[in-house]
Amino acid sequence: MTSLIFENVSLQYPIYNAQSMSLRSKIVQLGTGGKVSKRASGVITVQALDDVSFELKDGDAVGITGHNGAGKTTLLRAMAGIYNPISGNICRSGRVTTIIEIGAGLDDELSGYENIYRMGMLLGANYSEMDSRIESIGEFTELGAFLELPVHTYSSGMKMRLMFAVSTSVKPEILLIDEMFGTGDVAFQLRAQKRMEEMISEAKIFVFASHSEELIKRFCNRRFVLSHGKLVEAIL
Amino acid sequence: MIVFSKGLRDFTDTIKALPLSFFFAWGDTKARYRRSFLGPFWLVIGTAIGVAGLGFLWSQLLNVEKSVFIPSLCIGLVIWQLISGCIMEAPSIMVQNARLIKNIKTPFLFFPLQLLLRQMINFAHNLLVVVAVLLIFPPSINFSQILIIPGIVLVVGNLFWISALISLISARYRDVGPLITSFMPLMFFLTPVIYRPSQLAMSEYIAWMNPLTYLITLIRDPIEGLTPSLYVYVVSMVSLIFGTALTVIFLGKKYNRIAFWV
Repeated sequence: MTSLIFENVSLQYPIYNAQSMSLRSKIVQLGTGGKVSKRASGVITVQALDDVSFELKDGDAVGITGHNGAGKTTLLRAMAGIYNPISGNICRSGRVTTIIEIGAGLDDELSGYENIYRMGMLLGANYSEMDSRIESIGEFTELGAFLELPVHTYSSGMKMRLMFAVSTSVKPEILLIDEMFGTGDVAFQLRAQKRMEEMISEAKIFVFASHSEELIKRFCNRRFVLSHGKLVEAIL
Repeated sequence: MIVFSKGLRDFTDTIKALPLSFFFAWGDTKARYRRSFLGPFWLVIGTAIGVAGLGFLWSQLLNVEKSVFIPSLCIGLVIWQLISGCIMEAPSIMVQNARLIKNIKTPFLFFPLQLLLRQMINFAHNLLVVVAVLLIFPPSINFSQILIIPGIVLVVGNLFWISALISLISARYRDVGPLITSFMPLMFFLTPVIYRPSQLAMSEYIAWMNPLTYLITLIRDPIEGLTPSLYVYVVSMVSLIFGTALTVIFLGKKYNRIAFWV
């Protein structure tokens, strides 16, 4: 039973400038103290999520829309447990897999094959499990001989294929994907769609942040709209 | 208690990810020496050249018997590379792995562990030089050599919490890295790598105020067939326990912030 529940989640995002990253100014602050230091501390906080509540269960495929900076990526990261809220509760049961930024977790110097092992193991598989899957993953990416080459020779679409193939092969229970999913070419998107549908039919949770109405309609059965950190469920 | 349990969970998750961490460290080592013919053995050659050159020069300068000086210098240098490698690289690892931290949920201590393992792989390569030197200048073999094992365990354990704590603090305060970089050359001379604490005569206590002295002694003395004093073990054990506890508490306390720091 996979589920993901947010109860009144608020998340603030501190942004550190050069001054607040400096140990020297921290020490000077200790010496001066008081009101000045508060203003001079240089940490700005952004309210990224504001009192967000929802409940996702088996078979939910959610599309998240919202303008740039509305908090889509932050919401995905909070779902994955990468960012932690300052108030409210997040209840997560199921193995989470994320594809947020292209290339994250890949080592550019290593070959495609070596990176498949690395990614797969990062996502919780062990070496022998990856051994048995490597062939089908390689096939799914359709990268062929490119898998022998270091990843820095790949285009972003190719990196995307690699990441998507690995992330979905580890049988995620909760899969969180950001925007960049659209970078694959048409043929790849069709195959990706088939795999997504398989996953959704296996009663798993899928969350997808995108600006593309079309993609959301194709993949999702629920839709959330984020604006200024507030979340509302919209009719699809 | 809640803060402590968060840090502790990260710690146990990291220990569970040990095979993965080793796989990553091994991959890093391979990537670094990719397209070079000798690979990590370049490091061994570097160490060998350093030991040979410095050994002959300094044994003349300091007027010490080569058969005593060279093994001591060689073991000292190899351990020093392990220690300084961990301490010098620790400040940058969290920032280097920022993309991973922000995209895939990974225990934070995974990164210092990976650093430590990579340095241990280098250390293992460098041990070849130590073995070669010890074949030329054989030490006296006795029961002390058994103490090499607890020595290495204590050094590695202490280096883990030291690297972890440095990496966490410097993720927040970016001038910790340059601060450490500027102090390490001085530390090389303050730590008995070239000399022995006993050679400082009256000022020996100064060497024992330096925590790195203990780490060097824990491995070097047993290899040479000497038994380190009991207090070396007591101090190292105490620092291992308190240091690890401190790191876990600090991690737990700042756990929610780290992803924003990097």
